[in-house]
Amino acid sequence: MGQPATMAARAQRNDAPWLTLKMREAMEAWLFLSPTLAGFLIFFVAPLVAVLGYSLTEWNLLSQQATFVGLANYDDALMRNADFWHVARNSAVFALGLVPLNMALALLLALALSGRFRGVVVFRTIFFAPVVTSAAAWAIVWKFQLQGEAGFINQVLAGIGITGPNWLREPNWAMAAVIVTRVIKMVGLNMILYIAALQAIPRDYDAAARLEGASGLQIFRMITWPLLGPTTLVIMVITTIGSFKVFDHIYLMTGGGPENGTLVLAFYIYQQGFEFFNVGYASALAMIMFVIVMALTVVQLALRRKDT
Amino acid sequence: MSSLTLSGIKKRFGKVDVIRGVDLEVEDGEFVVFVGPSGCGKSTLLRMIAGLEDITSGELRIGERVMNEVQPARRGVAMVFQSYALYPHLTVRDNMGFGLKVRGVKPEERASRIAAAAAILKLDALLERFPRELSGGQRQRVAIGRAIVGEPDVFLFDEPLSNLDAELRVHMRSEIAALHQRLGNTMIYVTHDQIEAMTLADKIVVLRDGIVEQVGTPHELYRRPRNLFVAQFIGSPKMNVVPLADVELPPGLVAPANAVSIGMRPEHLAITNPGSGIVSGRVAIAEYTGASSLLHVELDSGAICLVVHQGDEPQAGKRIDLRIDTGNLHSFGADGTACGPPTGHPRS
Amino acid sequence: MDALTPRRLRLINQICWTLALCVAAIPFLFPFIWMVSSGLKSANEIFGSPSIVPRAWQWQNFVEVFSYQPFARQYFNSLYIALTVTAATLLVSSLAGYALARLRFAGSALIGLFLVSALMVPEEVTILPNFFMMRRVGFIDSHWPLILLPVFGPQGIMATFLMRQYFMAVPRELEEAGKMDGLSRFGVWWRIAVPLSRPALAAVAIITFLNSWNLFLEPLIFVSSLEKFTLPLALSNFTDPYGAPLWHLQLAATTLAVVPILIVYVIAQRQIVESFALSGVKG
Repeated sequence: MGQPATMAARAQRNDAPWLTLKMREAMEAWLFLSPTLAGFLIFFVAPLVAVLGYSLTEWNLLSQQATFVGLANYDDALMRNADFWHVARNSAVFALGLVPLNMALALLLALALSGRFRGVVVFRTIFFAPVVTSAAAWAIVWKFQLQGEAGFINQVLAGIGITGPNWLREPNWAMAAVIVTRVIKMVGLNMILYIAALQAIPRDYDAAARLEGASGLQIFRMITWPLLGPTTLVIMVITTIGSFKVFDHIYLMTGGGPENGTLVLAFYIYQQGFEFFNVGYASALAMIMFVIVMALTVVQLALRRKDT
Repeated sequence: MSSLTLSGIKKRFGKVDVIRGVDLEVEDGEFVVFVGPSGCGKSTLLRMIAGLEDITSGELRIGERVMNEVQPARRGVAMVFQSYALYPHLTVRDNMGFGLKVRGVKPEERASRIAAAAAILKLDALLERFPRELSGGQRQRVAIGRAIVGEPDVFLFDEPLSNLDAELRVHMRSEIAALHQRLGNTMIYVTHDQIEAMTLADKIVVLRDGIVEQVGTPHELYRRPRNLFVAQFIGSPKMNVVPLADVELPPGLVAPANAVSIGMRPEHLAITNPGSGIVSGRVAIAEYTGASSLLHVELDSGAICLVVHQGDEPQAGKRIDLRIDTGNLHSFGADGTACGPPTGHPRS
Repeated sequence: MDALTPRRLRLINQICWTLALCVAAIPFLFPFIWMVSSGLKSANEIFGSPSIVPRAWQWQNFVEVFSYQPFARQYFNSLYIALTVTAATLLVSSLAGYALARLRFAGSALIGLFLVSALMVPEEVTILPNFFMMRRVGFIDSHWPLILLPVFGPQGIMATFLMRQYFMAVPRELEEAGKMDGLSRFGVWWRIAVPLSRPALAAVAIITFLNSWNLFLEPLIFVSSLEKFTLPLALSNFTDPYGAPLWHLQLAATTLAVVPILIVYVIAQRQIVESFALSGVKG
């Protein structure tokens, strides 16, 4: 080495010994996190506290300002106002229709498409295409197809001698239509999660079971299905919570109608808050939704822990 | 180039004490090897010198400067990593020049330093390649080259040969030794392989459980291990340690008062006439390795004693007596510390 | 019966599966075909016959879409907002994800837990206070809420954890080599961790872009003037004076909004599907 100690000599000037390595690392961490944390506090924590505050007030178009009323809004929602339970029932029906249908179809498609054969990529591409399509576009096209007599679906049904209902104008049919079209839109997502899980199962299991003479159905029941357990759980929770968030789809297809037949909780909050300007009541609804979602999350965590 | 001083260095991860007080002097230009079983803290100690782990307590000096809280790049050290840690998205040339660029070294200067390092390491033809296009040995050389171009005062090597196959390892070992002779820098080298330690080091530091067991030249460690652990860690096959009672010391020779066991290196034992050996037993297994044979001798007490034997190996099951030069005997106390060789004047 | 060799049997099995899948694919594929074909029909023909091929190709539908409302402007709004949100999310989430993955500091586990808790909460819960906040700072009928809320909302936090997961898999020694080479922490992040995390960045970019492109609730609440609309809001806005949908225009506009995305999707199908798989496993 020609020049001894060149690096050390250069370094001596700015050792910054007032900042220990540990402190420096912590400082850097907070710096890196600061945009996210600031946004988190401003757009999540503060609003969450605020919505709790609003929910304890009477604040609507008439009052124009917030007055403290305690738990009256909750009392109103849970005890007095029949609307809430109607909405809760709708949300439950929506979730109970959507989740099993979505998961069963996703698993079926994944089982069919987890292997390698000609055209498998084409099919996967088709089944996943609605996922990348906007809910607005999807809802518009289906609303168009599901119109009364002139709609394409009913014209096809008429062609084989069936008189289809006016899908989106009759409460029960509307709910069914909304659920099914939502499943078609979103099933691709769960399908690829299942495909990923299926492809992660070592082929040896399958081969070993076949050597022992197990049938395809037995292999599925005794090997594949148990191994898919964790994935199934994750999918179930994501899909259930996701079903509570559905807004645009319903807004555009039925507008919550007919006769509030498809009015679900997310929509109800929007309606009360932004159409009727019942801020206090809408906030109480938002808190109830928050509690439901948190409860579902806790159940998920508990299930997961038990699983491992 | 500079010396290093570690005094009272400690490292604690959460509630675990990984380094429990290390004092060490490294002289300018010395090649020091940290060796010990996995988990002994040798890599952590090296990373603390590099600045990649902070020092919980104690003081680290490089040259005259206290380096405890100085950032890694400002310590005048360079490190060669176990995985080589070459940037996969940069060519060999850019890998070697990266640090210089970051430090603001001028392009011409950079080019000449890279060229010089490439010449030393025979990397000239590979400069435009990406790491994925290199063999293990070539990657190793690039990693060393990256360290060289920074002209550090101290080189740090973290198990640099452990990812190479046996043959290449021997070759790179000699290249590193040659590099040290050529550059003359202070080098600190971590390995779990005692042969690497013996062949490379001016000074070996044997670590166990975060504590220095012994510091010394390879000769010192081999001839005068301070305790059982060092005695058995250095040397291959490892030293036989048998209870004092199993050993029949030559007449006139007396073990130190506190000795409870006797250590004998397999390569120092030899077959001798029946009745005249220091221990005797039955050959349990004889492993022929080409240059020599390794005998597993079951002593009468049941203990196994290894012997490196030249020439025709005896039949398994045969009773043999073993002799040893008294100068090669070691003895250890109940706590494992060495208590000097047996003394006295053997009557022949 | 010797024709039924195992090979044949497998072939028949294969054909049956393929047929079943073709039938199953109809409700997935058909809406797109119907959308395009109806967008090319006249207002009268649209309810006339369920034929896929239009009798008279009404290309002027696609021209009319732009004169009925400021559709070009709305298209541009969607595009620039989605790009802005994507860029900002990449920056913010990869910085935070890196800190959570690599930096040791008191409270890192706690912060991770806090952020995770926000992942599951639907936007509907916090949208009211956010509305009042945006109103107070004068962001109503502007694009600020459509940019800020997704970047810092559950979307952004999901991106943060995706990045964190990926950063943890970047070899630690590479970053340490960077440190030894004199990089600052920011330098290690920018010049080593980020270039080596392209797949995760791509996944975040794809999902974030699509989410912003498809965003509906926020535009509905925060934006009121036509030239500030984004596509999802604009599509259902092709109505006659009484509010009844002008289907030929709605479907033509929807075609214009959906088809470019679908083309990109078909080209980069593999990458896009993998991105969703990556993010889904996290959730």
